[in-house]
Amino acid sequence: MARIEALTGNESAARGAALCRPDIIAAYPITPQSSVVENLARMRANGEIDAEMVEVESEHSAMSVVQGAALAGARTFTATSAQGLALMYEPYFRMSTLRLPMVMALAGREMTSPETIWGGQQDSISVREAGWIQFYVEDNQEILDIIIQGYKVAENEQVLLPVNVCYDGFYLSHLIERVEIPDQELVDQFLPPRRAEHVILDPQRPMAVDPMTPGHLLMKYRRDHLEAMQAALAVIDAVDAEFGRFFGRRYGGTIETYRLDDAEVALITIGSTTGAGKEAVDHCRAQGKKVGLIKVRVLRPFPEQRIRQALRNVRAFGVIDRSVSFGWNTGALYQEVLAALGRSGWALPSISFIGGLGGADITLDHMLAAAEQVLALAENPRYDSPTIWLD
Amino acid sequence: MKLSDVFWETEDLVSPGLSACPGCAAELSLRTVLRILGPDTILGIPPGCMAGAGAVGWNRLSGVKVPVTIPLLDNTASLLSGIRRYYLRQGRKNVKVVAFAGDGATADAGFQALSGAAERGENIIYICYDNEGYMNTGFQRSSTTSKGSNTSTTPVGQLSQGKTQHKKDMPLLMALHDAAYVATISPAYTQDFVSKVEKAAVVRNGLVYLHVFSPCPTGWHFPPEDTISIARLAVQTNFFPLWEYENGRFRQTLAVSQPKPLAELIRRLGKFHHLTEAEIADMQDWVNHKTELLTRLFAAREDLAP
Ligand SMILES: Cc1ncc(C[n+]2csc(CCOP(=O)(O)OP(=O)(O)O)c2C)c(N)n1
Ligand code: SF4
Repeated sequence: MARIEALTGNESAARGAALCRPDIIAAYPITPQSSVVENLARMRANGEIDAEMVEVESEHSAMSVVQGAALAGARTFTATSAQGLALMYEPYFRMSTLRLPMVMALAGREMTSPETIWGGQQDSISVREAGWIQFYVEDNQEILDIIIQGYKVAENEQVLLPVNVCYDGFYLSHLIERVEIPDQELVDQFLPPRRAEHVILDPQRPMAVDPMTPGHLLMKYRRDHLEAMQAALAVIDAVDAEFGRFFGRRYGGTIETYRLDDAEVALITIGSTTGAGKEAVDHCRAQGKKVGLIKVRVLRPFPEQRIRQALRNVRAFGVIDRSVSFGWNTGALYQEVLAALGRSGWALPSISFIGGLGGADITLDHMLAAAEQVLALAENPRYDSPTIWLD
Repeated sequence: MKLSDVFWETEDLVSPGLSACPGCAAELSLRTVLRILGPDTILGIPPGCMAGAGAVGWNRLSGVKVPVTIPLLDNTASLLSGIRRYYLRQGRKNVKVVAFAGDGATADAGFQALSGAAERGENIIYICYDNEGYMNTGFQRSSTTSKGSNTSTTPVGQLSQGKTQHKKDMPLLMALHDAAYVATISPAYTQDFVSKVEKAAVVRNGLVYLHVFSPCPTGWHFPPEDTISIARLAVQTNFFPLWEYENGRFRQTLAVSQPKPLAELIRRLGKFHHLTEAEIADMQDWVNHKTELLTRLFAAREDLAP
């Protein structure tokens, strides 16, 4: 029987990872992630999990240790935030380009400077071109569930890519919620042990991993990687459906829609601000305003077709970003959505909203104001709306 | 076993035709190391001359005959820690996980990872071939480059006499990490070399650090056929003393009763040609000081015994 417990986001991440029976865990403390490693260390100390813990001296080594273990065939786990992610960038990029599956929890935090330790998504957003699959989740149950789904996606042989499970620092990492913890036996059935085939360091099967590679071959590897990303779109949806059959919870795969069917305008959210977004939609609906919501659950690979499909009947949309695109003077997700439309020769009136940086809150009032702006835009369509800051 | 038997009975696990320069001590040492460690070895060779020369090769076409990968310049020790941990977890203790890394990857960019792995007691064999610089990228200085060296980032000019700092003492630093086994190795003293690698192969209680002196004809400017005599001279001048450290004790493995003047070594290396008598005397002082320090460490072993 599944158990119900009150867990913080970080506890949910640790419990989710533990259920996946990783062989090797290496992580280094950083706010707001630290209690993920602490929880795993405690479980290890009490004999509740059987993983090897490597108490590394930095995040660079954390990613390197799990990379070595994965090269030897292990299932591995780590977690970090912001500066830790930046420090590990070198082995991080290599994890995906060696096509080594793993799951890393990312408790999102704003990037320094200015000096900060509070939440934001600039850390994970900044590495969206590093070849990892990136999930963004809304609540603690989703953290736990998507870590389990994440391994299943990562180790799928059509995919073979590492997965980030990104959740908002503090807003989720330190928030306590009701979380249902599935049975270990059921998780074991859902997620069999990892079988490492394509690259392995083993004297019984000697091979050279990563010799100097000429451009034409490197391009083939990149192309395969891009194709694996595209294949992952369907795998993510399928794994979500299978997860639903096993555990009774589904998330909609790469995107989730909320009251969108007859909506005239849409708000697009990513991460935990979705909660305030849904509430704003309910408020608008109660007043007869036809607002719906799209939650982007997977940023990489970008669910281009499903986003287009979801937007096909709306007259305008707004994207709520918790990160910026420095060169565009907009939020980062906003540009992704525009690209999805533009690739089919289509444009819709839209607004980029930026808020929630450095731990600042995105409140219901912010969401309601954003909805009003988008409704007004639908009445007076234009394609050059300036970015609006939710501050 | 006699040395000749060791070489007769072991296999050269490095393919012929690596593209290292003629007279490269690092390549020679890699061959010796792998002969002794044997096929049950996983090798990590970070960016540097040995990776660049093709030791991380294409299966069956070039490189080495054991599983091999190229870590990052700065994560060799941690990447190998992960591999070793997984082998220990699987109960395959006899698979040796070995780094063969340049001094830049060891003493500079990778030092933090190595220090961490040593402190945690990771059971890997970390071998540093010290050619005193970043050779693969064009002989730039590293922290183990000797003072006075003419390198491409410490070029000799009207205002410069080469590198201004003395060499970082990596083996001593690793001994002070309380690594399980630390040894200095010279390609000129093969018996000593072989027995230290044999010892390293069976260590199970922590990290092994082997520091191999690697004369580099191309970067140091001397004729390729002189590699071994240069290596020997480095030992005989006390510039590169041979010792080992285990269980908290330092032990000299080769006594030099009548050390030769350092100037004999310095005059044979083009990278030092510009040095004045005074500068050579300064380097001799440094060698004398290091020798004195080591002598005390060798002597301290009885009193320090745990
Ligand atoms: C992070 C990083 N910075 C710089 C480099 C470029 N680089 C490649 S090899 C090398 C020098 C390696 O020197 P060393 O470890 O002494 O080996 P050697 O070339 O002397 O054999 C450098 C700086 C790199 N590969 N990675
Ligand atoms: S430059 Fe020096 S270390 Fe590098 S391959 Fe040539 S001789 Fe060997």
